[in-house]
Amino acid sequence: MAWCCLARRVGEHGGVIASVAFRNFKALRNAHLALAPFNLVIGPNGSGKTSLVQAMMRLRTLSALPLREPIPREAREVSNGPEITFRFLPPFEMTEAVLACESDVRCDLLQVTPADEGWPRLCERIQGMRSYVLDHREIANAARADEGDELASDGHNLAAVIARLQSQHSENYAAMRDELVRILPEYADIACAPGRDGLIELGLILKGGSERIVGDAISQGSLYLLALLALAFHPAPPTVLCIEEVDRGFHPRLLREVRDVLYRLSHPTSFGWKRDPVQVIATTHSPYLLDLFGDHPEEVVISAKHGTAATFSRLADRADLQDLLAEGTLGDMWYTGILGGVPEETHE
Amino acid sequence: MSEQPAPWRLAILSESPADETALRVLVEAVLRAPVTWVTPSLRARGWPSVAQVMPAVIRHLHFNTDADGLVVVVDSDDSVTHTAEHDAPNYFHPRCRMCQLRAIHRQTTKKFPPAHGRARILRAIGVAVPAIEAWYLCGRDERVTEEAWVKGQETGARPYSRGELKWRVYATDRPSLVLETERALVEVARHRKDTRRLEHEFPGFAALAKDLRGWRREENS
Ligand SMILES: [Zn+2]
Repeated sequence: MAWCCLARRVGEHGGVIASVAFRNFKALRNAHLALAPFNLVIGPNGSGKTSLVQAMMRLRTLSALPLREPIPREAREVSNGPEITFRFLPPFEMTEAVLACESDVRCDLLQVTPADEGWPRLCERIQGMRSYVLDHREIANAARADEGDELASDGHNLAAVIARLQSQHSENYAAMRDELVRILPEYADIACAPGRDGLIELGLILKGGSERIVGDAISQGSLYLLALLALAFHPAPPTVLCIEEVDRGFHPRLLREVRDVLYRLSHPTSFGWKRDPVQVIATTHSPYLLDLFGDHPEEVVISAKHGTAATFSRLADRADLQDLLAEGTLGDMWYTGILGGVPEETHE
Repeated sequence: MSEQPAPWRLAILSESPADETALRVLVEAVLRAPVTWVTPSLRARGWPSVAQVMPAVIRHLHFNTDADGLVVVVDSDDSVTHTAEHDAPNYFHPRCRMCQLRAIHRQTTKKFPPAHGRARILRAIGVAVPAIEAWYLCGRDERVTEEAWVKGQETGARPYSRGELKWRVYATDRPSLVLETERALVEVARHRKDTRRLEHEFPGFAALAKDLRGWRREENS
């Protein structure tokens, strides 16, 4: 099967961010995280998972503005304010971008060194980063046909995105549909079409008949899966995909498929795809999803909270990991607390 | 010499934060010595998860922490109740949770080289028969004892169900975690100064207390 049309940026490197270092950014007082092509972040609420995503989206926002002259740290009004330092993947490994505060009221300083001719190309890749907090109620909505360019952060225009895929990228659409009906065999087809009001309705055809179920009559798990598939099979996916609570709405037995849909993005060659890898950062609270990463502990990030300070660590950095895994699954180990990344408790 | 002993550094592997809160009180009541608790709290998802994760928990405590000991308490549910006969040398009852947990500790620790200045993590194992709510009722409802439960097991006429015990402690069969913790603390407060009655009526607790006191003798010798 020819996958040439799937690729928009073939020939370039995939991914964008090599590492992020935080200083005094919310609970991330002094934290560092090297990012892999795929990153599953586990940890209690408030331990910095969302802050990580917010920092990356802030980089995206500020990088769209013209760069300003560097202001040395000594010359800023706040010396100990929040500071986030990004390093980048090749060919941009020599570049450093620092988000900082200029004063108490101006916290929008982006300093790039060196700000040379490579910056516009890096900037373009940064502009391609996206973050998603999918919401099945929004996904189920009908959408305007002209909204179908790319999936919105809550998924509310999914019907339009799928309709656009069908009309303009029929090969991608067919592959996505085949994957959907393989994973959820109760369906025979996808059927997104304009309703009476002209808005495009999200619809699925049930197997063994022609019954079409539409919008919020579709199960939550099906809605979330459709959104993930639309991201994975889109001809122009993000450069970095951040997705929060990626297990949401899924039966535990479907989580293997969820992982594989995301792996399509981060490791396209494993699926016979010739296109740039998408760097994936997904958060979860599901021990069952974590269980699926026993062979790839380098892809698991543990965010931990100690009092009011949060830190990141890589599961693969634990020397005794293989011994622990001989005794039980990752999910079981995480639940016990011996991996860290569990909520703090009071005992009084 | 009246030097204050160094506090025990202990971890509890339990099934809920409410259980852990109550067990901390009982352990401190038995030890009569200062205790600091390993964080984060160790948690298992009931039986048989406790037995499954215990080797990894012991390994983690031994190599990655300076903990002195691990306290494990499980409900017996409908399993075989531990008896004095099980304590005979080399005896092991495969359906007794006390025997199983002791064996797991023995087999796990014997493989490890010394670490953090100690040869092995000490253990204190208790089994609440049939559930920890029976311990909570000790001193309040004299019909609730381990002996009563064992007799019921033998005759096939259970004196009470686990659901009834929970109802008697919480006055609901759907206690919130807050209510569970509050009730647990109120009930174990009776034993804070003296655990002898709890030990007398619940050999599954007496075994835990004996383990803990054994540690103290080890330290003094
Ligand atoms: Zn026994």
